[in-house]
This record gives sequence, structure tokens and C-alpha cells, in this order.
Amino acid sequence: MERFFRSDFFYHFRHAPVAIVSFVTIILIILAAIFANFIAPTNPFDPASLNLMNGFTPPLEANEFTGERFLLGTDDQGRDLFSTILYGLRISLFVGLMAVLLAMVMGVLLGLIAGFLGGWIDSVIMRFADIQMTFPSILVAMLIYGVARGILPPEVRYEMSIVVLIISIGLSEWVPFARTVRGSTLVEKEKEYVTAAKMIGLTRQQIMLRHILPNVLSPVLVIATITFALAIIAEATLSFLGVGVPSTKPSLGTLIRIGQDFLFSGEWWILLFPAVTLLALALSINLFGDWLRDILNPKLK
Amino acid sequence: MIEPLLEIKNLSVSLKKRDNISVAVDDLSLNLYPGEILGLVGESGAGKSMTGSAILGLIESPLYISAGTISLQGRSIIEAPENIRGSQISMIFQDPLVSLNPLKTIGEQLIKTIKTHFNISKAEALDRSKKLLSDVGIDPERIEAYPHTFSGGMRQRVVIALALAPEPSVIIADEPTTALDVSVQAQILNLLKQLCTERGTSIILITHDMGVISETTDRVAVLYSGRLVEIGKTSDVLQRPQHPYTAGLVASTPNIDPSSFDKKLFQIPGAMPDIDDVPDGCAFHPRCEHARDKCQKHRPPLFDARVSCWLSEKPGGTL
Amino acid sequence: MSFVTVNQLTRLFDLSEPWIVRTITGQKKRILTAVDCVNFQIEKGETYALVGESGSGKSTIAKMVAGLLMPTSGSVIIDNKNFNDANLEKASMNALRQKTQMVFQSPYASLNPRWKIGNIINEPIKAFGLIKDENDQHKRVIELLEQVGLSERDIKKYPHEFSGGQRQRISIARALASEPEIIICDEPTSALDVSVQAQVLNLLKDLQKNFSLTYLFISHDLAVISTMANNIGVLKEGVLVEQATPNDLFHKPQHDYTKMLLAAAPNLQNN
Repeated sequence: MERFFRSDFFYHFRHAPVAIVSFVTIILIILAAIFANFIAPTNPFDPASLNLMNGFTPPLEANEFTGERFLLGTDDQGRDLFSTILYGLRISLFVGLMAVLLAMVMGVLLGLIAGFLGGWIDSVIMRFADIQMTFPSILVAMLIYGVARGILPPEVRYEMSIVVLIISIGLSEWVPFARTVRGSTLVEKEKEYVTAAKMIGLTRQQIMLRHILPNVLSPVLVIATITFALAIIAEATLSFLGVGVPSTKPSLGTLIRIGQDFLFSGEWWILLFPAVTLLALALSINLFGDWLRDILNPKLK
Repeated sequence: MIEPLLEIKNLSVSLKKRDNISVAVDDLSLNLYPGEILGLVGESGAGKSMTGSAILGLIESPLYISAGTISLQGRSIIEAPENIRGSQISMIFQDPLVSLNPLKTIGEQLIKTIKTHFNISKAEALDRSKKLLSDVGIDPERIEAYPHTFSGGMRQRVVIALALAPEPSVIIADEPTTALDVSVQAQILNLLKQLCTERGTSIILITHDMGVISETTDRVAVLYSGRLVEIGKTSDVLQRPQHPYTAGLVASTPNIDPSSFDKKLFQIPGAMPDIDDVPDGCAFHPRCEHARDKCQKHRPPLFDARVSCWLSEKPGGTL
Repeated sequence: MSFVTVNQLTRLFDLSEPWIVRTITGQKKRILTAVDCVNFQIEKGETYALVGESGSGKSTIAKMVAGLLMPTSGSVIIDNKNFNDANLEKASMNALRQKTQMVFQSPYASLNPRWKIGNIINEPIKAFGLIKDENDQHKRVIELLEQVGLSERDIKKYPHEFSGGQRQRISIARALASEPEIIICDEPTSALDVSVQAQVLNLLKDLQKNFSLTYLFISHDLAVISTMANNIGVLKEGVLVEQATPNDLFHKPQHDYTKMLLAAAPNLQNN
């Protein structure tokens, strides 16, 4: 730990205000989501605690029927917006994180295999990646989502919506990981330490996982950060389009969709607060990712 | 007394990394005289390339010139290096592809260089280009060829032609033959020597190879940890080295000598320190078998304009 | 029979464009003969040096002797076994691998930057199952480090904490960890500074004496070779043009190419 504080990495971090601000924002948002049940005044996912009379209460004002006040106001069903955002963040962050993990594991493994084995395996994997890249990733996600909903029986569809969301976003974001890892693998596999590993009779699998994998991971971290932001936005987009999580357990995207129905009737807060939260989160992750890329890329230093 | 063409006085180049400053070239003074080949020899990290970059004004952050002056024919070039760099001082790098534009024919590149330095017509520039090519041993008919159609040695000849185009008074050649095969290396070194005699151009030859130094240079400066440890006529320095480091370098260089088989090479223990970890006193003292107390505490000055070692403090001090 | 016999060794490389491009443009196949019918023997405990310029095929021969590349024709027989013998059982193949190790040119690329030195040196011991007990493995790693002039302290360090010469020592220790009988040294000192080069060459000589190692020494530098080799083969464009003891080669070179190499080599004593 002491080594970390003395490292170049930490030194650069201390001298980059943008990195500090974005990092602190990300951490605050994540902490708020994790401890939502302690911070939030109400549980918006519990239908029993809702009072429809509280619907459309503006921020900080008293409701005209019940007299209750809400920090960020309420939505059409009388849910406290502040609590709903916190709980929604949980879903957004969870879906984003799992989708990135899926994309990362898949992309890294496929990239490693393509780069190391080469030949027709490489051609098949990378041509598939090329084809996938010609579609916008949100379209790919919608396609996978649509197919999954068609296949799954209606009873589980509801529970499975989050899993399907994760898989569809994950499958649409693996290509950048695979491309980067394949490129680094092509460089690494020619290095003499790999030859040395061949000289002691290690199998291809051992060489790939033990020797090459640890050496191709540093750019992956940067891509993972940026993909995390993309995944959160993708989840929001899918939910906004109505193919994501249901409105009974809304994520940020679902909240924005609900909010835009009421934007022009004067209830601006339902749209604004979830949108600002999403913006702050995605922007912070992107800025932090950019900084990370600059620092970890020795050529740019 | 001949006036020096290029005069480096107390040059220091420092590196600022985080809050630490380390010194890469430390209080270096050198003179380059007209028409000579001066060798700068040292191991990697000794500061030899850095000295070359400083002369060319190529020092960039986080490195900076922290002290000293460099003057060409009496005029300081640290303040105004830009115009002097191209017209008075040329550079030849280890990798010829660094200096060549792959998208242009060698003729286009030569003509462009000549026309930026001389106010002459394109036809004249073309004539000069052809002349330059034949001077460096390339068939002038190949003036329309692209760099990739040449072999490594031929490319280095093209680079030399480009370096000669502005008719500079000084050429700095940084490991010009390190990437080449021995047979080609000999040709390129001979070409440099020949140009030096014919045109009176002075050359600073930066290399790690004692053999190249021995066969090419008139004088040699030995660098260690960014400091000048010994300078003098090449034959003197190599045959009667005064500094223990120079002596060690010479002795540890293998020679083509079948009788050396079964004998061990002389070896200097240890390795050159990193620039942020240079010991006090003489930088070489931890590896020196003659080191005394004084060597650990005080940095030796250059005695007799030749050697920076306390052993040479008094006349008759020997290794 | 000699310890290593290289017999009519030939390797071709197909440099042609892909089939479809050739069909469209009407090009012929382009075949490069990197190594052409090379024969030599190495006696046990001796050093055979291959000298040549870039493109002479010396590294291709090294790879074939190391069992990393299939010869197009001809054979490499080490201690009566052949890497490319289809009938060779797995156990003999492993034994042959263990006997044959390599030291590389680049001190930077030859060590995995993410591995600690201790693990790097221990890997061959584990892979060949030479020592089973972990404590004994640890002791063996320390012993190997000391043999190449490093110490126990270095076990937990990473490659970037060492200088070029020290990394080359680590590379040598890793090769020794397999308890090899032949080490292929592919330009082991050409990336090192002179004073460090002398240290590494001396170390290789000491180890050869102590463990009666056989070396195949690849270099472009005649001076380095003259201090190392019992026999020298001069390669030009894949063909072994001359083969002799250092004495004969340096005093009475027969082939014009050898003479040219000798004349061109920069030498301190010519001054």
C-alpha cells in the first residue's frame, strides 16, 4: 500500500484535478448506490409503501393532499425520486458492471486465442468481429434482447430481463477488447520469453494463460473503464426505449422514459434529476478513463 | 593554435522527473577542430547521444540544458539553434528510416533540402543531388527511386548524402553503423573518413564500439555517467589509457585472436550507475580497483587536458 | 558419434503471396532457401560457433537445433535423438527438450516482465518435474542464482529492476535450471555493453567448464567468437562456406567471404 502512494501513478493522479474530481464523483455515486437502503428515505420498489396521492410532488414543496415533502420531488406514482434514483443507480451500475465483465472475459479470451493461434481461427473470430462492428452496438443489443424475449417463456421473462440486458449489452461490446488483446498478443508472442516457455515444453494453453495474458491486460483496464460508461448508457437507452427493466423496478433509463412523458406538462424534475445523475456518472467515468489511458500509455507521456 | 570549430563548455543536461532532478550530462567540455573526426564513446546511458542532441538543439522536456554553452565558430548556438541546426550541423542516425520520407523519392528529398538552404534553380539542385549521390557511392541514375528499394547500407548512404546537402561544417553521426552488417559498416566508415578529408567537414562519431573508434577517429572522448573521463588522440587513449575505466574498456573488448581462447577476458566488475544514483566523488570509484579515499569524496578535475582521475594528479602518477 | 550432428540441414520458407493473389496477378511462387544443406558436428563439452551477417540463416539453424522449427529436409541429432522423429515417445521427447536450452539476444524480451525472478527460474524445474519438494526447489533457485553471480535477495524482484547484463545472467540461470547438456546461445552479448559483455562471456566459459556444457554459439562478431569457439562455421546466404578451428580460420582463411569478414571487422589492434 505504501508502495502505491509512492508510485508514479499516484503522483500523476495527485497532480490531475480532472482525474481527482471524476474519481471522487464515481466513488460517491457507487457508495450511494451500495448503501441505498440506508440513505434512501423510502423503498421505491415496495408497492405497499407507495401512496398515489403523493404523485407529482415538486422538489422540496409540500404535497397538496398529504403535506409530505420530498427532496427531489416524486414521480407519477408518488415514488420519492431521490430514493428511486438511488435504487435505480444500483440496477444501472450492476447491469453495467456485469455487462463489462462479460464483454471483457469474452473479448480477452477470443482476442488471445485469435492472436496466438492465428490462421483460420484468427480469421473466423476477427471477421465475425468486423461484421458485428458494422452494426451500432445498441442495435445488436436490441436484436439479442428481442430474440431472448421470443425464446423465453413469459413467466420467467420478467425475472430474466436484467440477465438478458446484461448478456445483450455484454455481447455487443466485446469487439474492442478482442481487437486490442489480439494486437498485443501478436507482439508478445514473438518475444523471446515465449520461446523460452516453448523450450521447456509448455502447452499452448499454458503459454497463453500464464505468460501472454498478464502482459496484454494493461490496455484492457482502460477499455473496461470506457466500456463501463458505454454499458451504463446502453442500459439507459434500452430501458428508455422500453425494452429494458420494467417500470416497477426502474433503472435510470426507465426513470428518464417516465420523466419525458411529463416533461411538457410541467413536471420537469422527473426527467431532470435521473438525467443529471446519468450524465454525471457517464461523464466522470469517461474523463477518468481518458486520464487513465494517457497515463498508462508510455508513448503519450 | 587552431581555433576550435565547435566549443562545448561546462555543458550540463538535466532530467526533471517528478520532484527529483538528475543530471544526464554533467559539466562536459569538448572542442571539435576543423576537419577532424572526434569519437564519443561510452556505454549505454553514458550521455553520449544526449550530448549530440544538445548540440543539435534537440533536447526536449523533461530534459533541459541546465548549464554551459555551446558555440559554433564563436557564436553561441544554444539561444538560436534553429537556423544553425539545418545549415551548419547535420545529423546521421542509427536507423536510416528515421531520416527518410518513405513517400518521396530520394531525389525529391535531396532537392528539397538543397533548395531550403541555397537560392538556386531546380535544375541546379538536381545536378547537385546527382553529384552528392555519386559522392556517396550511389548510381545517380537511381535518383527517382524510393527509400524502400535500397538495402540498409545504401539507405545509410542516402542519409549521408542528405546530411551533406546543406554543406554543413559539422556532422553528428549517432551510431551510424550499429544496425549494419560488418562488411557494410566498414564501407560506411570509410565513406565518412573520405568525406572528412575531401570536404574538410568535422564529424562527431557517437558509438559504443571501441573497434569503430579505433579505426575511424582522430581523437576520442570517453564518457562515463555523463562525465568526460578521458580525452585525447585516439592512438594515445587506446594504447596508453590513463583512466582505469578506459583501460578496462580496452581490455574487455574482445579481439580477433585465436590465442585468446581458453583465456578469460578482462572484466570490469559491476555496471554503470543509473543517472539518479551516481555516487559521490568520482562516478567510477565503486568499480575501480585503484580507488582511494579521495576518489570517494571529491570529483577529479581534468588533468593535463586529458584525464579526469586522481591517479593522474601528480606527474608520474600511474595506473 | 558426435554429441550433436547436423546432417544436410535445409530449410525453405514460402514467401509467396496468397494463392488467390497469385492466380489473379499471375505471379509464381517465391521460395527462400534460408538454410541449404548444412553439415556440422559438435563434440560434447565444446563450443561450435556460427558466424554470419544478417540473412545468413544462423538464427534459423539455431531454431532448428532447438527443436522450435521443422527442417524442410535433413536432420539434427542430439545425443542420438531427433526432435522431428515421429516415433519418438513423449518421455524421450521431454528428455530431449530438457537437455536442449537456449540463451537469447535481447535481455529485455527474454524475461516475462510480470514474473518474479524466482518464478522465472523455477519454471523449468517444475515443468520438467526435476525437483518435487517446494523447499528444495527454493534452494535450487538460490543455488542457480549464485552460480550466475546473483543472490538470494533477487528472488522476489521483477526483471525491470535489473540491468541488461544482470538480466542476461537470469536468462542463463533459467537455461541452467533445466540441467541441460547443450545450450544454444543466440547472440547472447550483442545487446550488451563491452564491459558487461566480458562478464557474460566469462560466465559462459566458467559454466561450460563446471558443467561440461556443449554450446552452439551464434554471433555476427568474429572477435567474440574467437574468444569462445573450438570450431567455427562461416555462413553466407544459408550455405556453410567454410569450417575450421579458430587458428586456421583466422590465420589461413580459405574462402573469399571469410577473408572479407576478417578484413572488415573493426579491431582495436589495427590502430
